[in-house]
Amino acid sequence: MIYRRRYRWTEMGLLLFPAAFMAVALIELQLAQNASTLLTRNILNPLDTLGPAIGLVFALAVTHVLLNLFAPDSDQTLLPIAGMLASIGVIMAIRIGSSPGFDVLSLGAKQLAWVILGLGFCVGTVILTRDLRWVRNYKYTWAVVGLALVGVTLVNAIRTFNTNAPSRDVLTIGAGGLSFQPSELVKICLVVFFAGYLSENQEMLTAGSIPIGAIKLPPLKQLGPLLFMLGLALIIAVGIRELGLALLIFGMVLSMTYAATSRKVYVFGGLALFTVGAVIAFSVFSYARVRLNIVSNAFDPNVATNSGYQIVQGLIAFGSGGVFGSGLGLGHPTFIPASNTDYIAAAFGEEFGFAGLLALLGLFMLLVFRGMFVALRSRDSFNQLMAVGLTSVFALQTLVIVAGNLKLMPLTGVPLPFVAYGGSSVVANFIIIGFLLRLSEKKT
Amino acid sequence: MDTYTVLLILRIALVAILYLVILRVVAVARREMKLVERAPAAVTRGKDIVGHLVVIDSGSTVLRPGARLDVEPITTIGRSPTNTIVLDSTFVSTEHTRILFRDRSLWVEDMNSRNGTLVDQNRISEPVAVTPGTILQVGDVRFKFAI
Repeated sequence: MIYRRRYRWTEMGLLLFPAAFMAVALIELQLAQNASTLLTRNILNPLDTLGPAIGLVFALAVTHVLLNLFAPDSDQTLLPIAGMLASIGVIMAIRIGSSPGFDVLSLGAKQLAWVILGLGFCVGTVILTRDLRWVRNYKYTWAVVGLALVGVTLVNAIRTFNTNAPSRDVLTIGAGGLSFQPSELVKICLVVFFAGYLSENQEMLTAGSIPIGAIKLPPLKQLGPLLFMLGLALIIAVGIRELGLALLIFGMVLSMTYAATSRKVYVFGGLALFTVGAVIAFSVFSYARVRLNIVSNAFDPNVATNSGYQIVQGLIAFGSGGVFGSGLGLGHPTFIPASNTDYIAAAFGEEFGFAGLLALLGLFMLLVFRGMFVALRSRDSFNQLMAVGLTSVFALQTLVIVAGNLKLMPLTGVPLPFVAYGGSSVVANFIIIGFLLRLSEKKT
Repeated sequence: MDTYTVLLILRIALVAILYLVILRVVAVARREMKLVERAPAAVTRGKDIVGHLVVIDSGSTVLRPGARLDVEPITTIGRSPTNTIVLDSTFVSTEHTRILFRDRSLWVEDMNSRNGTLVDQNRISEPVAVTPGTILQVGDVRFKFAI
């Protein structure tokens, strides 16, 4: 912040919007129940709708108060943007949970529980990173934690090895069906490690010392971690078959390296490597061919009824929504498989239409813009690179999943930040918001 | 009003709220960006830098030996705070030396200072072209030119 404000009024004002959105959406959902043309319909009782709505608004308010206490000078737009997206997520969970055929009336409450947990972790991150130096000093510890998480997933993937199905990196902890995706935390660990490494070796990477043709490459000691990160992305793509996560790490590494060195050689070199990798993957792995085939021949009668069913249903949902949407509670988003997770953008697009989808993308764009603004304003190169890395995670996730939903690229199961149903994703994204809030505080 | 009309209004209201949030956040962001533009930190960011001066001997100033100072197309050195590079030393005149960027080269010019400007140990009386590596002495402070 440029100057110190006594109270975060801007944030409070902006937080009124999620509250208003919740209120209007609830009224619309209740009315839509009576007006729906569907013959069978689960009737939502007020406990299933009002509870999550009030709970979310309350949780955001508590977070706002805590931020006033622990980080009064941090960015005031990040929490409202994330809160708005989270409230869209909760509303969509309430709405999809009540659909016939889905029948999990408490889906909204479950999503709210995750959001509250996420907000708790967000405030926790803000408090614990008061002194960001320890985060940087333990950068190898972060790398080891990240590797361990990948290792756990890898073991799980090999255990449930299946040549054609893309394996799920879900770790079930204890009883109660509480599942947790390690990959969500992997990206945060890797951003911290990579920011630490880049900020220390920025000059060597920029200057380079070993000339290869017209390009000067840095010595292996400096280049090592960079190659290691790219290799990790490869292992994830091949071993765990989590193409989305691999793409995410790959894009994050490239954008952070470019931000640190402003040398295009790394970007183009990385893209060339990616092209080579994609060609090899296409010729070696059948599942990669299947994914690409779905995109190129989705409406083929043979594809549309089995492997391409989901993507075709998603496109129909977008189409039937039109410009202004069918209205919340009046569409049929559950016709799409996984409409509450991977296809939340399609479900949202059907009920809020093109106008709503554009606004949703606008919110993500603002989130990325504010994240980059945090990076621009920070003085320290570690802080800058960390903000760039964390922000690029949001940007890439949104890009990959929305483009997948719209059949612009092969679908990979990346959760839409804050909106898609799923615990670990929501929690991890709120931890990122916590980091960004702390990074946005200007130390004098 | 029947239910469908109410639903239509509510539907429009929902999307409108989303756009209102965006507009509000953009307004906040614009306000903050204006503040950043006014802050001195942002002013130094976009300036034209044609070279650097590395401090070799800081003399009686608070400068740290080894510090790199930016050289702009017109750089003035002196004791007065209005100079580009301010040297708080009694051996330095209020406006001591001027560095100019002309014809793709840097020129050092003495501004009629009391103790004079020395380029490679020689006191100068007219503008002298300098290259990276040249030693510049202003009062009791010595610099080396660098790219």
